[in-house]
Amino acid sequence: MEMAISITDLSYTYHDGTPALKGVSLDISRGESIGVIGPNGAGKTTLLLHLNGILMSENGKVKILGKETRKENLKGIRRDVGLVFQDPDDQLFMPTVFDDVAFGPINMGCAQEEVRERVAQALEWVGMEGCEQRSPQHLSIGEKRRIAIATILSMSPQILVIDEPTANLDPRAKWELTVLLRGLSMTRIVASHDLEMVAALCERTIVLDNGKIVADDATPIIMSNTVLLQRHGLAPASGIIEPRDRGPLLNR
Amino acid sequence: MKHHPEIDKYAGLSSPIHNWDPRAKLIAILSLIIAIVLIPDLEIALVGLAIALTLALISRIPFSFMLKHMMWVIMFIAPLFVIVSLTPSGGIEHASLIAVKALAAVILIFPMIGTMRFDTTVKALERLKIPSKLVQMIMFAYRYIFVFSGEFQRMFTSLTSRGFRKRTNIYTLSTTGKLIGMLFVRSLDRSERVFSAMVSRGYDGNLKTLVEFEMHTADVLKAAILIAIAVALDLICFTVV
Repeated sequence: MEMAISITDLSYTYHDGTPALKGVSLDISRGESIGVIGPNGAGKTTLLLHLNGILMSENGKVKILGKETRKENLKGIRRDVGLVFQDPDDQLFMPTVFDDVAFGPINMGCAQEEVRERVAQALEWVGMEGCEQRSPQHLSIGEKRRIAIATILSMSPQILVIDEPTANLDPRAKWELTVLLRGLSMTRIVASHDLEMVAALCERTIVLDNGKIVADDATPIIMSNTVLLQRHGLAPASGIIEPRDRGPLLNR
Repeated sequence: MKHHPEIDKYAGLSSPIHNWDPRAKLIAILSLIIAIVLIPDLEIALVGLAIALTLALISRIPFSFMLKHMMWVIMFIAPLFVIVSLTPSGGIEHASLIAVKALAAVILIFPMIGTMRFDTTVKALERLKIPSKLVQMIMFAYRYIFVFSGEFQRMFTSLTSRGFRKRTNIYTLSTTGKLIGMLFVRSLDRSERVFSAMVSRGYDGNLKTLVEFEMHTADVLKAAILIAIAVALDLICFTVV
């Protein structure tokens, strides 16, 4: 079967010389739901940005549904891969919710009627019907995140890629969002360090640390491997934390 | 809630100016503003001011709201008025002429863009074939001014909570300068992320939106009346004087 995503030996170094990805190889089949976990700075976002060609590396290959991420394929790839950015204020740049959700479909060349249908459908999926004319600055963070997802769903992508969907959300908003994401049937890749959410959402989990994939297995197996999680800063180190004397400045 | 510079706060009201087609409204009132600025005669300028006030009255935007936003303009006009009236080539009449025209022009801003949501204004500009780059700049400025002012306020709160007080000294100035510098750095990072998000959804340099503006006879009529008044204001000056 054709892979949804196939990454071979991908390395990426930022302009300032910091290596972000070091030889990442990964295959994801269609319909899979994958969690990418790892500490801050592990390279999660950098990896995601390669999936729709925002970043393109000289070293390594990224194939989306059989097409390599090269300039001539980008238009199609960006239609197939929907990328939801971490900060909804980056994702929502238009003056109204309607304009934002309609942005993708209009660029895809849909006719007016179809654009309207897609917007209505996407807003219904995320439970935000009736918000079309609201401005992003008047939405709560939870609402912004739902709309951010709607802006991608309206393009009906085959692969949904989400960066830290639950950051800054309170538990209720977080679980509501998790339920929403569970209800979607396309291939999903979720980058996060929210292990609870990943456990509830993904069948398979990849641990990324320092630009390398250090584990790739079924989610329950990863989550029960405390030593692995501890080693990569995803679970508290064992032992009781003793209060330490920190000198006169903090002992007033 | 923080105070935002929401020029379109009263866009939800209903008045003959509110239900005017945005494109016709922009063109007509802009013509009137230009006509008033060109008036060389104080008495006619006062007529212009009266027309501006009438339009503002029709628009039902509360005068208190307009006054609050006009404070800054008045603070700019007042010293100018004093200086010009004291110069030999100026005099009180010349100074009054400048002040009256400036006030009239600023008052007209409210019926022009205060009577519709700002996104409608932007779309109307787009439909009027204003260059797309300019329209996008206006749109993004409006969208992100709230994000940036929020960021600035959070940084300032963080300073204040660590004992920073605004004073008239170099330290305050340099700290505020650094704060503004940080804001620039952050906005640069943000602009890169926003651009990535736009490109991810197929942005190709043009912003496309769906809007239906419908021009009715009434819209054209209102615009015709206003433009006629604008032309008349200037014609009177240049034929009679």
